[in-house]
Amino acid sequence: MTTVGFLVNPIAGMGGAVALAGTDGQSAEALRRGAVPRAADRAVQALSALPGQDVEWCTCAAPMGEDVLAAAGIDHYTVLYRPAVPTGAADTKAACRAFLAAGVDLVVFCGGDRTARDVFDAVGREVPILGIPAGVKMYSAVFAVNPAAAADLIHRAGEVPCRDSEVMDVDEEAYRSGRLTARLYGYACVPYIAERTQGGKQVFEQQDEERAKNDIAAFIAEIMIPDALYIIGAGSTTARIMERLGLLPTLLGVDAVRNGEVVARNADERTLLTLLDEHPRAKIVVSPIGAQGFVLGRGNQQISPAVIRKAGLQNLIVVATPGKLAATPLLYVDSGDVALDREVGDSLQVVSGYRIAQRKRIVHPE
Amino acid sequence: MQTKILLDEGEMPKRWYNIQADLPTPMDPPLHPATGKPAVPDDLRHIFPMELIRQEMSTERYTDIPEEVRDILTLWRPSPLYRAKKLEAALKTPAKIYFKWEGVSPPGSHKPNTAIPQAYYNREEGIERLATETGAGQWGSSLAFATGLFDMECTVYMVRSSYDQKPYRKSMMQVYGAECIPSPSEKTRSGQAILDRDPDTPGSLGIAISEAVEDAAAHENTNYALGSVLNHVCLHQTIIGQEAQQQLATVDTYPDVVIGCVGGGTNFAGLSFPFAGAKMTGKHPETDIVAVEPAACPTLTKGLYAYDFGDVAGLTPLMRMFTLGHDFVPPAIHAGGLRYHGASPLVSRLVQDGVVRPVAYRQNEVFEAAVLFARTEGIVVAPEAAHAVKAAVDEAIKCRETGEEKTILFNNSGHGNFDFSSYEAYFAGMLVDYEYPAELIKESLSRLPVTG
Ligand SMILES: Cc1ncc(COP(=O)(O)O)c(C=O)c1O
Repeated sequence: MTTVGFLVNPIAGMGGAVALAGTDGQSAEALRRGAVPRAADRAVQALSALPGQDVEWCTCAAPMGEDVLAAAGIDHYTVLYRPAVPTGAADTKAACRAFLAAGVDLVVFCGGDRTARDVFDAVGREVPILGIPAGVKMYSAVFAVNPAAAADLIHRAGEVPCRDSEVMDVDEEAYRSGRLTARLYGYACVPYIAERTQGGKQVFEQQDEERAKNDIAAFIAEIMIPDALYIIGAGSTTARIMERLGLLPTLLGVDAVRNGEVVARNADERTLLTLLDEHPRAKIVVSPIGAQGFVLGRGNQQISPAVIRKAGLQNLIVVATPGKLAATPLLYVDSGDVALDREVGDSLQVVSGYRIAQRKRIVHPE
Repeated sequence: MQTKILLDEGEMPKRWYNIQADLPTPMDPPLHPATGKPAVPDDLRHIFPMELIRQEMSTERYTDIPEEVRDILTLWRPSPLYRAKKLEAALKTPAKIYFKWEGVSPPGSHKPNTAIPQAYYNREEGIERLATETGAGQWGSSLAFATGLFDMECTVYMVRSSYDQKPYRKSMMQVYGAECIPSPSEKTRSGQAILDRDPDTPGSLGIAISEAVEDAAAHENTNYALGSVLNHVCLHQTIIGQEAQQQLATVDTYPDVVIGCVGGGTNFAGLSFPFAGAKMTGKHPETDIVAVEPAACPTLTKGLYAYDFGDVAGLTPLMRMFTLGHDFVPPAIHAGGLRYHGASPLVSRLVQDGVVRPVAYRQNEVFEAAVLFARTEGIVVAPEAAHAVKAAVDEAIKCRETGEEKTILFNNSGHGNFDFSSYEAYFAGMLVDYEYPAELIKESLSRLPVTG
């Protein structure tokens, strides 16, 4: 029997239909434009698809959970939190804290990127979290691909492994004015089921994310050239390279390494450009970030077009685990410099193991 | 226009062709793994029968095929040569595409061409049991079949990823009376050592070879049999190319392009060596001879020409060949029979000398060609053979573009009737396009593949 804490951000997902990017601070406007709360529908879909009743539910009152459970035909649950209406970020966090205090095994939430961030703020890596997608756009990798997949994951939460998944910080203000800035905010533990084919091959290679990260790190460490500058991008896969070298990584930022030593920690664009002046021979190691798999442009903004041009595009090394690559059939490039994006071309080699790489298709958004 | 060209049983070649006789200079000798000195016949006696050691080192142009072996080979030989007319039509190519069909053997590939003589020579020298490895399962099935015919026992170490992918290959070996063990196993010290380090390893041919060699060395009545790579294996396979030459001669044709896939290199050698001999001796100097390998394990296109071990544990003699390093565990591509870090020293030598041109393809494009082949010619080929199909298709498309009417000959080394899980994965969009990051590896010069 698993105990699941369940919450809905009732206003998530309203903006899309009425042409608002995200609903943070905009719910009144969204409602005025005639939006209908969508998150509840998605959540009902997911929970109705649950095969059994072997889950113990903790939830929040009325629109933040209870209504959805009832609509999905679930009648046994404990209400642990009663939000003020209209609900806000503080309610999401307070609900999560109540779930943790009650000892839940998993927190399931229905919302978008902002909700994911709020849940992550409160839960951290204490227990796994899982998103039922309902937001306008989802850059975080903590969401199931659809409500049915979410149902499957909740049902099997006790047996399946978890993996590190990016929580992204999307600036909705900026997004509404046409700019997308998605920063890597942290890594949550998210249950996942490796894609299975009869061949058994994928199972072999996706089974173990940790093993894959170690293999990648071992390979990159092995091919490092003396005196060259290595710019190591954000993320848990690249962090493993630092650890392999015996160095402390900046999980959410960019580090620079030379001859096995850190020459800049959590570096910004300016620092990187200065370092490249001193050490023109350089390699940039990045990992695709977020649910879409952005190689450039999301989560690694410090590694700007200027930094990449200075190091040389041919010196970009992309790394990712087979599991991550299986979840992102296409990779995205959106550096903010259209000419540079075009130079990347239609496909990239991605290192996915020890002396193993995959050729992946690249998509340029818009 | 004939669709298939058949030979009578009486027309089956009576001897094997040894390409060493036509090399401009001798091969570099294999080296003893401990001393680093050239290996002598005695070094190999604990795992191979004398006659096979003799064939391994021989430079004589021909070796007679024993009567008893010829008799068994007639169960499926001479194998048919097909003209792939429907494939040509689908490709709208002016090229003529011929293929030698080795999938007609009982286990389903070219492998019994050498399994039968290997079992025969071992039995002649009093050996009661053979140990071997298998990647795709084709070789294991073939040796199981052959040992059964000679009343010998057989133990097959099967690369674990294949063992899981193709359970019916194991059943087939059981039907023939052999024992099939997933590798790495706890039965050998080399297998145990790998498992200690990495209990979830998909295994590799290099690891399985270590296990089989160790098994053979440890048992007095047991020898080792290798289904690929070695000179005597290439030798036994040359029956393919000799038949093809006879068959093409009946329609007054000589190929412009000769193609085969390369794992260890023996089906490729089997078809191409008679043509490579004619190329080197100036009879047909223009033949384009193409060796096809997976981009995930691109030994001939991206490897280093150097002395290296044939196995992971370093138990075999060192051979001069193209290699990605004997410690390289190739990704678990579906063409299990092509997951080998090295390649036949003879094939390597021909690549080094420019007689053979290597090319590499990724999985999805290979399966795409295989599906086209099945939908035109009807045969569902093994993922290994599909690499040769892909190269033939590409050559034919080139002819469409240039208008050349080339004659293309490829070796269709086996059927894929046990490989439907791979086809399913292809249709499900689950095949990963692996490639070997050669540029990254090459840049760090000090870290070239670990060689002997
Ligand atoms: C059908 C088939 N073709 C080709 C090969 C590759 O071996 P080789 O390169 O020695 O012919 C194998 C090996 O298992 C095979 O089963």
